[in-house]
Amino acid sequence: MKPTTDMDYVELYAKKLKEDKTLFQQQKTLIESQLHSSRTTFSKFGTGDEFKAKAREYLRGTGFLKELVK
Amino acid sequence: MMKSYSLEDNTIVLDRELTELDLFVKKFLAVLKKHTDYLVVSGFVSISTGRTRGTEDVDIIVPVIDKTRFQELFLDLQENNFWCYQGDTAEEAHPYLEKLTSLRFAEKDKMFPNIELVPFNHTKKAKVFEFNHPQKIRIKDFEFKIPPIEFEILYKELILKGKKDLEDAKHLRTFFSEIIKKEKLEEYKPIIEQE
Repeated sequence: MKPTTDMDYVELYAKKLKEDKTLFQQQKTLIESQLHSSRTTFSKFGTGDEFKAKAREYLRGTGFLKELVK
Repeated sequence: MMKSYSLEDNTIVLDRELTELDLFVKKFLAVLKKHTDYLVVSGFVSISTGRTRGTEDVDIIVPVIDKTRFQELFLDLQENNFWCYQGDTAEEAHPYLEKLTSLRFAEKDKMFPNIELVPFNHTKKAKVFEFNHPQKIRIKDFEFKIPPIEFEILYKELILKGKKDLEDAKHLRTFFSEIIKKEKLEEYKPIIEQE
């Protein structure tokens, strides 16, 4: 099968991964790279209460955090 | 070639190293398990089994618990360096559970990754079913519970249906093709369609 769509690639990768566990290492690198990138982005929010206040302000601004349920 | 997983006493055993995301979930579950039962669902099921995509949240379903138990859980999470997006006290956060609205927790001074704690009660038939039919999965010394693979696939295909979800389902169907049971797919379909 020659992959042409994203779904084809998902299937092809899953088939290869099933037989070759060394491919997990690539996945680990990708996941950890994303985590490090996100950590860097939000490190400017400071620490402790300052971090939480800025994080909540950001989350409200993006619509991610709704007002408290009453 | 080296096989990526095996089945040992009905536990799926993945032969890979733990990622930082696994360690984050492991740390959260170590606290959560002391206070309530749980099931890890959705994206983390696919990612922990090798799907190559990023994620910022890990969905965990929990039954609604009363205020006293929740307070103990909340304090324990804070003592273990987690913070809650929605509030700094159990009194602020518990109403979310009562209204079946998710709560989010992340590690202190971090925004992501986060845990989305998804509460459910007896009115959520599909969630009750998957919760009562857990599948164990193990990576090194990290063991946790997920829905039956067949259930997870169908939930993504029939309920969630987004591109990412359909790709996750394809990953699970392909990766676990040797252990997926057709009769379970047929059994679970009407249960999921109630959702």
